[in-house]
Amino acid sequence: MINQMQKKVLILALRAGELMMKSGAEIYRVEDTITRICKACKIPYVEVFATPTGIFLSLDEGSEDSDMHTFIKRIKGSSIDLEKISQINHFSREFTSTDLSIDAGLSILKNIAGSRPYPFLLRVFGAALVSSFFALIFQGTIKDFFCAFFAGACSYALSVLLDKIETNLFIRGFCCCAAASLIALSLFSMGLGSNLNSVIIGSIMIFLPGVALTNGVRDTLAGDMVSGSSKGIEAVIIAVSIASGVGVAIKLWTLLGGVF
Amino acid sequence: MIWAFLFAFCSTVGFSILFHVPKKHIASAGLVGGLGWLTYTYFIASGSGSVLACFAGSCIVAIISDLFSRAFKDAATIFVIPGILPLVPGAGMYYTMLAILEGDIEKTASTGTETILMAGSIAVALLVVASVTKLLAQTGRKLLTYFRR
Repeated sequence: MINQMQKKVLILALRAGELMMKSGAEIYRVEDTITRICKACKIPYVEVFATPTGIFLSLDEGSEDSDMHTFIKRIKGSSIDLEKISQINHFSREFTSTDLSIDAGLSILKNIAGSRPYPFLLRVFGAALVSSFFALIFQGTIKDFFCAFFAGACSYALSVLLDKIETNLFIRGFCCCAAASLIALSLFSMGLGSNLNSVIIGSIMIFLPGVALTNGVRDTLAGDMVSGSSKGIEAVIIAVSIASGVGVAIKLWTLLGGVF
Repeated sequence: MIWAFLFAFCSTVGFSILFHVPKKHIASAGLVGGLGWLTYTYFIASGSGSVLACFAGSCIVAIISDLFSRAFKDAATIFVIPGILPLVPGAGMYYTMLAILEGDIEKTASTGTETILMAGSIAVALLVVASVTKLLAQTGRKLLTYFRR
């Protein structure tokens, strides 16, 4: 039989690991955090294997009559939230260095899990900032700045909407980039922009797979080949979805008689 | 040059808002992105190819992120993820798609290869910097324990 203390440690460690994985942390960081938490609760034998879609955790108290316990946590869906990673990092450091009780740890984790991202309008503004300044970087004029501002804001709002109804990542990248380029094309045909390419490039910048790329490399470097290669594939799929979204939108526009 | 830095700074701040970077780190994340892009434009202006420029920019991003993570005692990811995004070749992807639509196979191959190589160079730069800093930190720690004895 598993005793209550062990069970609570398991829940605490798995919860922390799940939160980190969902927020887009690297594999070695998740495994390290779980191991530290278990070791801090005086469990001598801990083995953890984490992949982007699930965490496996075995622990054993090490005494004569104790059994080994293994738990599996399936992880579904993810959204990048760097503040959560930072907070859990601090939490695990605090938990291991001071003698915080397990219940207190659980309630801190619950607080962290409940923290919301920045408000929706601010995020839309952030997306608009990204696309408008990228339009300027790629030789856009001040007119393109405002076009890209609008296109970026609209396409990001669409991506949040698509997230709500749980579409997969290919459809989301495809729809958002198609919408961004259609908006850019129609603004351009109304004579509002001067450099179409810069507006479209700016507004697709928001959806680029930079996170999958960097985390994939870091995982591979740390020796986690399974998750490294799966994140590499994710990056490729997102890139293909963006390119095909833009391509289909431009083709449709020219087929329907729009000027390009 | 200064404009390039300013534009990249602002767009990295935008990315930081999207990825919920903690408020106190938003400015430093923006600085990382701006300096990375500044390096990229400097290399392009001095006549290097875009792959090499991208490599150099990513190296700078990775090094400064590592320094910041040590200085602020926080995860390096917080600075690397928003900082690297300006360098991810979105423009290359777009021009490759345009070439596909025009049916120009040669142009597709050349811009497509350049785009893939740029993405690869980001990956390699992150790998190299992470390995070197790990090595330096380990030898530093060993030397420290050696001298203390």
